Amino acid sequence: MLKEKKDTDVGRKNGTETNVKKAPFGNSISVKRADLFYGDFHALKNISIEIPSNRITAFIGPSGCGKSTFLKCFNRMNDLVEGCRISGEFRIGDVDIYSDATDVNELRKNVGMVFQKPNPFPMSVYDNIAYGPRTFGVRKRSQLDEIVERSLTQAAMWDELKDRLNKSALGLSGGQQQRLCIARALAVQPQIILMDEPTSALDPISTGKIEDLCSQLKEQVTVVIVTHNMQQAVRISDKTAFFLLGDLVEYGDTEKMFTMPHDKRTEDYITGRFG
Amino acid sequence: MVSAKVKETLSKVLFTAAAIICIVAVVTIFVFIVAKSIPALSKIGVFDFIFGDVWRPDKEDVYDQAINGKYGILPMIVGSIFSTVGAIIVGGVLGFFTAVFLARFSSPKVKKIFGTVINLLAGIPSVVYGFFGMYVMIPLFSGISPTADGSGLLVTSLVLGIMILPTVVALSKTSLEAVPQSYYEGARALGARHEQAVFRTVVPAAKSGITASVILGVGRAIGETMAVIMIAGNSPEYPDGLFGSFRTLTANIVLEMGYAGEVQMGALLSTGVILLIFIAIINLLFGLVMSDRKQHGSGRRHLREIKYDFSKAGKVLSWVTAGIVAVVLVLIIGFVFIKGIPHITPQLLFSDYKYGGEPSIGPAIVATLMLIVISILIAVPLGIATAVYLNEYTRRGSRMVKIVRSAIDVLSGIPSIVYGLFGALTFVVWFGNTTSILAGGFTVSIMLLPVVVRSTEESLKSVPDSFREGSLALGAGKVRTIFKVVLPSALPGIFSAIILAVGRVVSETAPLIWTMGSVIQPMPTGFLGGGATLAVALYALSNEYRYMNEAYATACVLMIIVLALNTAAGIIAYRLQRKLQGEKNVKRKKRY
Repeated sequence: MLKEKKDTDVGRKNGTETNVKKAPFGNSISVKRADLFYGDFHALKNISIEIPSNRITAFIGPSGCGKSTFLKCFNRMNDLVEGCRISGEFRIGDVDIYSDATDVNELRKNVGMVFQKPNPFPMSVYDNIAYGPRTFGVRKRSQLDEIVERSLTQAAMWDELKDRLNKSALGLSGGQQQRLCIARALAVQPQIILMDEPTSALDPISTGKIEDLCSQLKEQVTVVIVTHNMQQAVRISDKTAFFLLGDLVEYGDTEKMFTMPHDKRTEDYITGRFG
Repeated sequence: MVSAKVKETLSKVLFTAAAIICIVAVVTIFVFIVAKSIPALSKIGVFDFIFGDVWRPDKEDVYDQAINGKYGILPMIVGSIFSTVGAIIVGGVLGFFTAVFLARFSSPKVKKIFGTVINLLAGIPSVVYGFFGMYVMIPLFSGISPTADGSGLLVTSLVLGIMILPTVVALSKTSLEAVPQSYYEGARALGARHEQAVFRTVVPAAKSGITASVILGVGRAIGETMAVIMIAGNSPEYPDGLFGSFRTLTANIVLEMGYAGEVQMGALLSTGVILLIFIAIINLLFGLVMSDRKQHGSGRRHLREIKYDFSKAGKVLSWVTAGIVAVVLVLIIGFVFIKGIPHITPQLLFSDYKYGGEPSIGPAIVATLMLIVISILIAVPLGIATAVYLNEYTRRGSRMVKIVRSAIDVLSGIPSIVYGLFGALTFVVWFGNTTSILAGGFTVSIMLLPVVVRSTEESLKSVPDSFREGSLALGAGKVRTIFKVVLPSALPGIFSAIILAVGRVVSETAPLIWTMGSVIQPMPTGFLGGGATLAVALYALSNEYRYMNEAYATACVLMIIVLALNTAAGIIAYRLQRKLQGEKNVKRKKRY
């Protein structure tokens, strides 16, 4: 039953190729010699990184260091920014995501994103979750019901919300809204989820819930999370990358990095000497 | 996936096309009017046209010999300028002090009620103002007029002054409120009394906004047609004193369009050109004041110290003018209602009309509805598409945006009678060479474009970017994002835009007279047949003094409809907003 559901699922119905081919994107990220400019401003400098699958990778660094910008390269949200130029090689699985052959929308379906401020649409809880699947051609009510239940369960909020599916999502609390956004991203079964400071606008209890959620999610997806909160990085991430002024200063296992940083700048940052 | 790409491209093409149509409309109107006026102008001579002071169209004498006409419009130019100056003296002064009163002297409750009522004034059709002038003010002034006829410059100035009040008050009030509170507090800290702080610090700081409001008022006064032709007297002469009969540029067009010969029509088109030049100058001035304001901030500019302290007088004047304005408001609305409501009968409202029979506005109601259908069907999709193009498909500040936006601005500045002129010479000709509801609908829909585009754009702007990002990040394309997330979120604004547009259709008169029909007619036979809307019917009825009661009743019905529409626009926007945002959310949003 479960298997069958997966086969008929989201996106596989839309277009002929996707019916035949497996989902083309993998769930690891590989970046080589990436540079990014905003106009004349060199925001990311020659960055190479390998992000493993089914792990949580945290990007840390002071404000303006380019970590969020870098994150948005993985689902090409930077395409929307005026005057933004990107060079270098970005691969997700084996696919070069900046090649002309790549369908941006298909990419974003496979690489979900959760934003700093919760951004549920002004629709019901149900319609919010169903938005992604509907985008990729799922119309059947029974199928959508299943997806909504599955996504909310995955996001550990099915019990909380099952009686409020038809209420406006904007009536939820901030923390609930953010978890709803995670459920919404999960509804299209992405392989990777990008989180851009997902808890910075939330209270400690909601933050705790989202951190727990991340840890559960890595069974199924790769999580890349940008955070200002170093404790958070320590608590949940397997790997950490430290950015400073557009450079990737250090990247490695979280435990090692926080106990024995290689670079003096990393040490200064995690011990709170600047930033 | 191919189909998705095609969809994206197709949508982009459609949205862009809508924006281009707006530009084309503006260019066409200008080119058409100017080009068509050139033959007549060259025959009359530009100098003789502008500086000639006799207007006597071609006619035949008693022996059927053609007498060549004279086409000098200096009297009309003077008439337009005089009545506008008069309107500014009345409306500018009343509007300024009322704005000061509302912004700085009244209690919040009074401010809210008063502000709402003044906004309602803006929605009242100009033919109702004309009707009020004709039936209430002229008889009042006839007693003191040396000619025993109360019409003329004084009445026109007063009525136009009241008509521009909402424009002046709204913008002045906003700019007075935008003055940083620290200025006021600074003045008070130096020992200034409340009124001194207001008149010597706050008012000078809001000067550019107040100036801009008056300039807008000038634009409205000079472009007004219906109210003027009902009370100005209309003889093509220089205004001779306060009670002298005179004619404005707008009146000149609407009065003679119905029977104009070739050269005469050319002269009327040329009158339109002169009117457009006036409007262009006003827009230019407005732009200058506004850009000046932007450069210097709303009050960061060096203020000159005011030598004399008029603040006490100013305070008194604020209270007095606010009182006068309140009385006038109550008078206009009350008078029409009291005189009109008893005569609203089923016979008047619902029966068909036979030529020569008792007047009935049943056909007018049907014709109005038909006109609404056509103009909304054209203007709303086009306007929304243009707004989507401007807000979703272009980079902010790009050249195309500037062009489209100035096209929209120009459209909203053109006096309605110029649209009437354009419609009568194009749409009427296209649709069977006779006035028809279809021709009227096309004419009015061009006028509605700015209303729809602007308010849709405003509501699109208020949709947070995070919604768009959220949708795109889920892999939805642009088209889906626009139709499923952006437009639904902007729905309240779009809804009230549509209702405002309907209100505008109901109140327009001048552009319809020669495109749709000017006399009360039986039930419309179809969209290709003619018809008179309620507003036009009121104009027609007012001119026949035999049916005063019916005229009052019609004015009343018209006002009720327009006021109801404006109120509905507000309520629907508010309701939808709440529904879309969830019950609790109205409060939460403010906290962010």
